[in-house]
Amino acid sequence: MTALEISGLAKEYVDSYSGDRVTAIGEVTFTVEEGEFVSILGPSGCGKTTVLNIIAGFVEQTAGTVKVGGRVVDGPGPDRGVVFQNHALFPWKTAAFGLRMKGIPAARRREIALEHLELVGLAGFENRYPHELSGGMRQRLGVARVLANEPAVMLMDEPFASIDAQTRRKLQEDLTRVFELRRPTVFFVTHDIDEAVFLSDRVVVLSRRPSRVREIVTVDLPRPRDWQGTTALPEFREIANHITALLSEGGDREGPELTAA
Amino acid sequence: MVAPTDGALDRAATRTPRRRLAVWLRRVTRTGAVRTLGPFVPIVVLWWLAAELEVFPAAFFVGPDAVLTEFLDLMRKGVLPGYLSDSLTRLAYGIGFGLLIGLPMGFLVAMSAWARRLTWPLLLFFQAIADIAWLPIVIVWFGFSLTAVTFVIVYTIVFPLVLAVVSGVEQVPQELVRAARSLGAGRFRVFVEVIVPGALPAVAGGIRTGLGYGWRALIAAEIIVGTSGVGFMMFDARRVGDVSEVFLGMIVLGVLWYAMDALVLAPFERATVERWGMVRQVEAGR
Ligand SMILES: Nc1ncnc2c1ncn2[C@@H]1O[C@H](COP(=O)(O)OP(=O)(O)OP(=O)(O)O)[C@@H](O)[C@H]1O
Ligand SMILES: [Mg+2]
Repeated sequence: MTALEISGLAKEYVDSYSGDRVTAIGEVTFTVEEGEFVSILGPSGCGKTTVLNIIAGFVEQTAGTVKVGGRVVDGPGPDRGVVFQNHALFPWKTAAFGLRMKGIPAARRREIALEHLELVGLAGFENRYPHELSGGMRQRLGVARVLANEPAVMLMDEPFASIDAQTRRKLQEDLTRVFELRRPTVFFVTHDIDEAVFLSDRVVVLSRRPSRVREIVTVDLPRPRDWQGTTALPEFREIANHITALLSEGGDREGPELTAA
Repeated sequence: MVAPTDGALDRAATRTPRRRLAVWLRRVTRTGAVRTLGPFVPIVVLWWLAAELEVFPAAFFVGPDAVLTEFLDLMRKGVLPGYLSDSLTRLAYGIGFGLLIGLPMGFLVAMSAWARRLTWPLLLFFQAIADIAWLPIVIVWFGFSLTAVTFVIVYTIVFPLVLAVVSGVEQVPQELVRAARSLGAGRFRVFVEVIVPGALPAVAGGIRTGLGYGWRALIAAEIIVGTSGVGFMMFDARRVGDVSEVFLGMIVLGVLWYAMDALVLAPFERATVERWGMVRQVEAGR
């Protein structure tokens, strides 16, 4: 079943001071199936974050629709959980906030919170405030917070971008493990081609601004995946090289002929 | 600050007199009383020296001993306790009403665009009229009463508080509000769970500033409205030329403010914004 349906999405920003208009997204259409991991890649400034923010309901689109589970969405809601780049954890909270919002009783809430902390490898840290955690741990907590809330779609905007390479590798592997275990529906923004291929079932490649979908690349690599084994596969390199080519081609020549899907 | 306490080398070193002095100093300065009072020691010594050497004429400048005598005398007569409780009662009323008005008003102005548009010019206008400038008309309205003093204190506290709350709310990261919304919080929950705690560092700062202003307004009002209180005591003493009582009043003000900070404000901040890592933790005053 289709979990997320994006059709004809467009966004034009108007600078409230100068009145300048910037077309961030030209026309973007794609879907994410239930239990599927879809990444979006594209040159910097092509509107990846904007797409995610529209899906999350933080930003209003100029045209097009966003459907979650077949229903058009408007404004933020717990059906779309967001993992933020700089984690956006509440400095004053230690436990599962979203669960309380859902009206789940306290005892059960604690149970769910502990289970998910364990899942992301943070068992024993339930009484820590965010500032007492490392950058990588905070990001794990950000993932746990969303998973525990069981959203229809999990939205992630470059969650590992500001984390050192070694920790990032570990987080990517752990995210894959959690994904393979739980099969949430994930929409993942990144600019790291290897990361996108390693994590995803499909990769949406955008062109430059005003962005259109250049190609949707299917990643048919076996699961479970691990970094060493998967990246060593010849198919992995083939797909990664194909995407690299797409991105560098899209550089200067852009136009309607690039539209795909 | 962390003392290397173990290791044979270290233990041997403690035997030298200088090492021993350093260890002793560290042990002594670790206790709260010394940390609190320590910085005042040189000032008191200088003060005492200045008085002993008669740098200024004795009629204008008295030493710590004279002030201490005065303190014991006024305590025994019950004058100082009476004035103190008068001042503190006024302050408590002023602060109570000030917070009760200032905090909700601040959040209303911060959260609602139309409330802001409506009140902002008024806020700026009335903020410009200094608290003391209200005294003449307040005395006409309320006489030399508790109401008059309370009015002035409330007035002084409310404005810095409102401005602090507004800037605090503006400082709450947009991402946190978004995160809460997509975790299912409605607007009210976002306010209670995200905006209020997020604004707390600035609000705490505003309360501190507000109370400081209120405290000064109290003394000024007592000097002018003058029927009782620490401010009245000081001004009355000046009239009869009792310098040691003026000095005593100044010291009492400092001590009371310090006590309020140490007993109320600092513990509150330690339990909230500092615990949450939202402000740099300052080591002073522990
Ligand atoms: N709030 C805004 N107001 C005006 N313009 C904006 C706003 N947000 C984004 N833009 C513009 O829209 C375009 C797309 O921005 P967006 O952040 O979505 O890109 P991105 O693909 O996420 O980039 P990056 O890879 O660098 O994160 C950019 O040209 C940016 O300048
Ligand atoms: Mg971005």
